[in-house]
Amino acid sequence: MDFQWDAEQQSFRDTVRSFLAANLPPDWEQQAHGPGSESQSAFSKKFCAALAQAGLLVPHWPRRWGGRDADAWTAFILAEEMWAAGEPRGGQYMNVNWIGPVLMRFGSEAQQDRYIPAIARGETIWCQGFSEPEAGSDLASLRTRAEKDGGHYRINGQKIWTSYAGHADTCFLLARTAPGKTGMSVFLVPMDTPGITVRQIPSVIGEGDIHEVFFDDVRVPESALLGAEGQAWEIARAALSLERVGIPRFALASRMLRRAVERLKQEGRYGHGAVEQSARAHAACEAARLYSYQIVDQRRHGTPTGPEASAARYATVMCERLVGEFVVEHLPDALSGGDPLLLAHHQRAIVAGIASGAAEIQLNLIATELLQLPREPR
Amino acid sequence: MDFTLTTDQSALMSALDRLAKPFESKPIDFHGFALAGNGLERELTEGEYFDIAQIPELGPLTAAMAVERLAWLPCTVDTALSMLVRPQLPGDWPRPIAVVENGRPGRFVATAKTVILIDGDQASLAQVGPEDVEPVESLFAYPMGRLKRRPAATALSAEDAAKVRGWLRVALAAEASGLLQAAIASAGEHLSVRKQFGRPLGSFQALRHRMAECTVLAGGVRWLALKAAATGDEADAALAALHAQESATRIAYDLHQMLGAMGMTLEHPLHLWTYRLKALVSELGGRGGQALAVARHAFDA
Ligand SMILES: Cc1cc2nc3c(=O)[nH]c(=O)nc-3n(C[C@H](O)[C@H](O)[C@H](O)COP(=O)(O)OP(=O)(O)OC[C@H]3O[C@@H](n4cnc5c(N)ncnc54)[C@H](O)[C@@H]3O)c2cc1C
Repeated sequence: MDFQWDAEQQSFRDTVRSFLAANLPPDWEQQAHGPGSESQSAFSKKFCAALAQAGLLVPHWPRRWGGRDADAWTAFILAEEMWAAGEPRGGQYMNVNWIGPVLMRFGSEAQQDRYIPAIARGETIWCQGFSEPEAGSDLASLRTRAEKDGGHYRINGQKIWTSYAGHADTCFLLARTAPGKTGMSVFLVPMDTPGITVRQIPSVIGEGDIHEVFFDDVRVPESALLGAEGQAWEIARAALSLERVGIPRFALASRMLRRAVERLKQEGRYGHGAVEQSARAHAACEAARLYSYQIVDQRRHGTPTGPEASAARYATVMCERLVGEFVVEHLPDALSGGDPLLLAHHQRAIVAGIASGAAEIQLNLIATELLQLPREPR
Repeated sequence: MDFTLTTDQSALMSALDRLAKPFESKPIDFHGFALAGNGLERELTEGEYFDIAQIPELGPLTAAMAVERLAWLPCTVDTALSMLVRPQLPGDWPRPIAVVENGRPGRFVATAKTVILIDGDQASLAQVGPEDVEPVESLFAYPMGRLKRRPAATALSAEDAAKVRGWLRVALAAEASGLLQAAIASAGEHLSVRKQFGRPLGSFQALRHRMAECTVLAGGVRWLALKAAATGDEADAALAALHAQESATRIAYDLHQMLGAMGMTLEHPLHLWTYRLKALVSELGGRGGQALAVARHAFDA
């Protein structure tokens, strides 16, 4: 066991930092950071293309797809630095974390050739069409239907809370081809297919973030099916296991805590209560960091990630909460025009326990799988 | 960054598992509030386990793992102070080690050969004999004792005092980590067996979630404690101790609440862990003291 970064890891982190310093606009921290906004989406394409040029978009991918087979630590260090900088990759973080890897594992040759190179060049945006109005935590109850129609599927239904849908090129869509958990299938659907309507949902979490997506008689060829009919549960599990410790939220939380404390100190407002609360929040951030590192280490060793991933996720939710509450209580000016970056963090932090699976569902998993407590009756 | 055990660490942990086995049974007769691990202490001494931090292949990180493992046992020895703090003292001081903070009763004081005296920001060391100390009755599940008179002590330099305080924090966190895990496991067993309303208590979501939250906190304590032991950094030590005391405060309450009246009895062993945790919660200035130390190191407060 060793808690130090080795020289190669440290130098990779430095490389990423230098890249960020050279490629983020000087007023980056003053901009609105809604990750799905028009300006952010446009910027992410320029930025990710430059990352790709520098070999920093998909280093952890296999060589065949433009990577260099770098290990899980490389991917995570990259993710930490990006997220801590306010995630200039926008929605494309999702592409490199799980969409690409899932296509490599489950996609046909034609699907891989069509989608993966564009992801590796940093020029395309995806959205994830899982949740529906009646299917949130209970994802298996989703109703969007995909019916076979000759060599095509006809898709009807509605998705909700879909991030980045406003500017996405392709949707990673979950739809029902038969009843039950084994009746769900994944479709790769170009967002310009006739019959798709996207509506932005105004929210407290920033411009362009979440949407409703309607599918009215959307016809896609059979070749849009990923894997086999009924394989969606397996594919979604693979995706979610990459996503669960996908975003190193503690990295931005920890940086924002420091930023808030510095500002309070400068203004002589870092009093007793703030000192104590900032210390607690800091401890929670570092606990979440080490928890997440444990999962990355499992990945690096090829060990399947178990219920500890849920524990890491929950620790992260707690750290986001404590940092968020610290700013609200001691530096409320940040949310009233005082600091766009702290505001952007707040907007991301409040969804930590909801987006990519609600925290209580993680607690259920921890109770059953880690603590081996008897299950709830159904 | 690597979270897997080295071969030496795995070997040591297996040896400790074997050593701990005979001491794992939980007493069912009245045993007082604390259970002194005299037999365990003999075994640890014979196997030279108190010195593992000084072995280069093992070091303080492995010592912290050992402390954590041994804290699972219902009985207690001054493992944390002897394994983690003693090697950091300036000069060679005999064990058992105890700490007396601002003149209060402390853990293991009645059997100590060396006492670390903490008075505000000052720290000093004293060798003591049976004539200097006496046991005190206590609700805490450590053998508690106090000084009968103030022994002749060697004051530590500010630098040494800070270093010792840092390692006391590591020791506290490593011990708390093991105690938290053991207490949660013990409560989990009960919740899986005890039925009310026709089903095991552990199947009620209100309790499942509470247990899961306790588990997440305890896991955080573990990683922070191990990292602090590995780096020897005072900032890491303060973080680990703060998270340990925060978590211990909440978890000790929650576990007793979930066990109902059974958790109040000495028949159930839960108190052997929770009342050690409660003793640790008060040390080194408690949560407020730890928070201040964290903020000083991290934010230059
Ligand atoms: C910012 C943001 C971005 C998102 N982006 C996407 C996206 O791109 N694509 C997508 O498909 N989805 C997306 N989502 C949706 C997200 O996956 C869902 O919000 C999440 O799965 C929870 O579903 P829900 O919101 O319907 O909450 P509900 O399922 O209605 O849950 C509400 C509350 O009830 C609790 N609860 C539910 N079931 C149980 C249970 N069995 N036991 C105990 N408590 C329970 C939950 O934990 C939660 O606290 C996004 C959400 C947010 C906030």
